[in-house]
Amino acid sequence: MPNSETERRATLPNEVPLHARPAGDFVRAAAQFPAEISVAANGKCANAKSILEILALGALGGTELVIAASGDRAAEAAEHLAGLVPHLG
Amino acid sequence: MDGESRNGRFVGLVLVSHSAAIADGLAELVAQVAGPSVPIVAAGGGPDGTFGTDGGRVLAALQEAARSGGAVILMDLGSSVLSVRAALGELPEETIALLRIADAPLVEGAIAAGVTASTGGSVDEVLAAAQEARTVAKF
Repeated sequence: MPNSETERRATLPNEVPLHARPAGDFVRAAAQFPAEISVAANGKCANAKSILEILALGALGGTELVIAASGDRAAEAAEHLAGLVPHLG
Repeated sequence: MDGESRNGRFVGLVLVSHSAAIADGLAELVAQVAGPSVPIVAAGGGPDGTFGTDGGRVLAALQEAARSGGAVILMDLGSSVLSVRAALGELPEETIALLRIADAPLVEGAIAAGVTASTGGSVDEVLAAAQEARTVAKF
């Protein structure tokens, strides 16, 4: 199922906005996967592999992120990133 | 990403500014966001600590970056661009082939380039990330 899309939701820790350092960690994790991955929050959608787009989401601590992945290893990518989000710091 | 292009080494950045404080501070900031694996060479300020650009320092920075396997060069504006172009003119073709000049805002481009370099991206992928800073909205 190379083209199936997987969606996962995950919430940032209350004290951790998705600012530069955590966003860098998130992008590095996303870049390990060949899948196309997007992150939506605050009515905006970002490419998970672009730190500038991720930062422009302006996601504050406690924000729920919707991670959608499609293509190669999509389910694994969405699962991994959703597992990472609550542990960003 | 494309493992064949990086040989286990990370693409580096060269940061050129009229101000040594800007170049050095940006190098520290990028290292915080991108992590310690990305080689960053700062070439800021004129000779004797003045504001401006120092062609010799820029040339040395490009040579150092090429020795570590390839780099994307980011500049603030004006004579920083001219000094990078002049320095490239001093280098042999095989060295120039390892380097890319980014037409991008310095701070945002360096952050984007640094993070992409830290994922193991190729020099062209790092260049594309830097230049994305021209169009991605800040908020």
